[in-house]
Amino acid sequence: MKRAALAALIVFLLTLPLFAGSDAVARIMPRGLSGSALLNVFLLIFLFGYLAQSWNILGGFAGQLSLGHAAFFGLGAYTSTLLYTEFGLSPWLGMPVGMAVAGLFGLAIGFVSFHYRLAGPFFTLATIAFAELIRLTALHLKFTGGSMGILIPLQGNSFWHFQFTGKTPYYYIALAMLAAVTALIWWMSRSRIGHYLHAIRQDEDAAEAIGIDTRRYKLIAATLSAALTGAGGTLYAQYTQYIVPDDVFAVGMSVEIILRAIVGGSATVFGPVVGSFILTPVAEATRVLFSGGGSGAAIVKLFASDAALEAKLSGYFKFLAAGGGGGGALMLYGLILIFTCLVMPAGAIPWLRRRFGQ
Amino acid sequence: MNSIVLGQTIVSGLLLGGIFALVAVGLTLIFGVMRILNFAHGDFLMLGMYFAFLLSVLFGIDPYVSALLSLPVFFALGWAIQSFLIRPVLQAPESIQILLTVGLSLLLQNLALFLFSPDFQSLRVSYGGNTATIFGVSVSYVRVVASVVAVAASAGLFFFLRGTDVGKALRACAEERLGAMAVGLNVDRMYNVAFGLGIACVGLAGVLMTPFFYIAPQVGLPFTLTAFVVAVLGGLGSLPGALIGGFVIGLIESLGELFMPSPSMKQIATFAVFLVILLLRPQGLFGGKLT
Amino acid sequence: MNRLLEASGVTVTFGGLTAVNAVDCHVDEGEIVGLIGPNGAGKTTFFNAISGFRRPDRGTVTFRGQNILGLRPHKISHMGMSRTFQIVKPFPEMTVLDNVMVGAFSVHASPARAREAALKALEAVRFSGWAHRLASDLPVAGRKRLEVAKVMACDPKLILLDEVMAGLTPSEHNEMIDAVRNIRSSGITVMIIEHVMPVIMNLCDRIYVLHHGDLICEGAPAAVVRDPEVVRAYLGEDFAL
Repeated sequence: MKRAALAALIVFLLTLPLFAGSDAVARIMPRGLSGSALLNVFLLIFLFGYLAQSWNILGGFAGQLSLGHAAFFGLGAYTSTLLYTEFGLSPWLGMPVGMAVAGLFGLAIGFVSFHYRLAGPFFTLATIAFAELIRLTALHLKFTGGSMGILIPLQGNSFWHFQFTGKTPYYYIALAMLAAVTALIWWMSRSRIGHYLHAIRQDEDAAEAIGIDTRRYKLIAATLSAALTGAGGTLYAQYTQYIVPDDVFAVGMSVEIILRAIVGGSATVFGPVVGSFILTPVAEATRVLFSGGGSGAAIVKLFASDAALEAKLSGYFKFLAAGGGGGGALMLYGLILIFTCLVMPAGAIPWLRRRFGQ
Repeated sequence: MNSIVLGQTIVSGLLLGGIFALVAVGLTLIFGVMRILNFAHGDFLMLGMYFAFLLSVLFGIDPYVSALLSLPVFFALGWAIQSFLIRPVLQAPESIQILLTVGLSLLLQNLALFLFSPDFQSLRVSYGGNTATIFGVSVSYVRVVASVVAVAASAGLFFFLRGTDVGKALRACAEERLGAMAVGLNVDRMYNVAFGLGIACVGLAGVLMTPFFYIAPQVGLPFTLTAFVVAVLGGLGSLPGALIGGFVIGLIESLGELFMPSPSMKQIATFAVFLVILLLRPQGLFGGKLT
Repeated sequence: MNRLLEASGVTVTFGGLTAVNAVDCHVDEGEIVGLIGPNGAGKTTFFNAISGFRRPDRGTVTFRGQNILGLRPHKISHMGMSRTFQIVKPFPEMTVLDNVMVGAFSVHASPARAREAALKALEAVRFSGWAHRLASDLPVAGRKRLEVAKVMACDPKLILLDEVMAGLTPSEHNEMIDAVRNIRSSGITVMIIEHVMPVIMNLCDRIYVLHHGDLICEGAPAAVVRDPEVVRAYLGEDFAL
């Protein structure tokens, strides 16, 4: 039963682009959203699932809570993009270079942190500090486009330029990356490195006593996690065709990355994927339905005015019902994260396992 | 660069430092007693700002009156949050504790965004522009008041911890939780008090800043990060450390703004200092105990 | 006789307190050596000092002729000396088998061979039936046994057992005694910290006695038990032999 459902899901995911543009789909979609929007949602599910899996190697498996992964994401994005805009190098070739750069930074941050024995919240704080330093640097370097970022020149449909006019090729690339990283993690979980990282996460002293070079394995996890995250940055850059420091290097991006792993189950192979399937549609739906954008200045004027109390209140409620000032999606994120920490700290998968007993 | 400009920069840094100190004192108190790093700390500062803003726009209340009102309100808020959100995860792994406060931060920031929109607001008071000139340095009244009150509050909290029974109980819980329970202290209630006090501090700081700082849902994050830097610099758990650390960071930021090619790069100095402290002397200037 | 472990003048201080004071001891291949002493005598601290968890302030420690002072615990484990912890440290989220495999992986890189070695280690402590239970589900006795199996899977020449009997019932004691004897017969040398006197008397070839960090006696169990200094150190304790 379960296997059949899983197979059906895989077939669905593999063939979705073929019928996403059809009328049947357009009829089911809410509020006039097109099939293209549907592809976009799934693409983001795959991309953020991929990023969450990459983070999870360090954060879930090795148990080192990094809140600075946006640094690696952005480094990958900027490296491949700059190599393309400055030297015409295909982003396909730029991607491994971006991975190397991100991986190097991951190695450096890991080395410095583990050498100085930063643990728990101190390590987390250090990762935030690193990421912020990198973001601030990118904001002020003319070379990286400063606060305006970099706009990738449109070349239409071109494999070499890693640009496509439709969403379908991006969709399959993202799906392939997600499948590949999940396969890697599945393999790792059964191998020595997976067992070692798991052990390190649960009890570093016991791990050392039993022959694990904890420093070395944490470094491997940090480097691998950073490099893989960097590749995700390249895909993001090529998809959105615009990168800017306050998006790709921001703390918010780091939170987006880890949220899916935490909610899905950070000590499991499929947790980040499940988390992404849960969170991304919720986020996108909230973004669409609750788009907000109301003007706060207008509300302030309303309240400072001499209008009757009922008028003020009803004006305010109208403002809220239209989505207020925005932020609805992220509020939901905050609630989900709090809920997860209080009710299912190990994530959805272990919680479901315990509830339904398999 | 003449001495007036330098003098101005130093004074401005010290004034800002007073605020940093109060914010960090709240954070370090919470950490000292409960071993929790409150990643949502700066967002309560933002709430303090909106608290003062709303009272002013809706009822015309002066921010310094709001400052007094904020103390019980934010203490109660902190108490409630500890009871319902923090207490359940006190025995959970550290990563869950961190993530809970991160989730709280997300919630608060975006709740504010939702309710108030991203538009910058400001609170205008009639005396907002008044300045005095001392030794050639021009200081703004409202900044001085903010800083003085902040330092007074921090000092008050320090003596509270030293002198009162509740304060001693807090210190006992900080040092030895099981022992405190064994002698009959209600540790849970002490945690509520600690969190309440911590939030009251940062809420007060927010209110004090409204006459001269812009109000927006996102102001919290930079203050959270700065509070961490200050608290770690002073030594997590040390109130005097947070006070001194606040002034040090205030000065570093102010001088950084003066010497760096672009004013917004001053944060680079702060984070660089942060990393150096984390690596070389994570226990900060005054070590770890709640003092 | 092969001298496996040689420690001389090992001193560990914490601030002003001397926890271990110039202790000399040695363990030869094939022995079961006991380390006893009242609570707070410095026994676990001594284990920490020789296994790489706490660098001694003074003294030398050699294992199989090589200086191991300053080496990190995992290196020492690879050289053949592994330890258990007084407060047992299982990996709670993993199964018993996975726990032991972690130890086995230090010898075998391939998951298949590590699994085999893990199963063998579980056999040796008669714990195979529990292989697929979660470590966090285990009762105290099970956790102790898991702890021993983990360490055995590392293929050590010398095992340091830290109070494996604590928290066990008398019948569980006997099972553990058998297990330790089995370990010795399989060619592994044992050094054991213990409180429970009947166990020490039964198991050990030689005993060292620590008191307030000082080594106050060394010798065969029967002699140590009659030593007046030892009796004084344990004043008030009941030697139920």
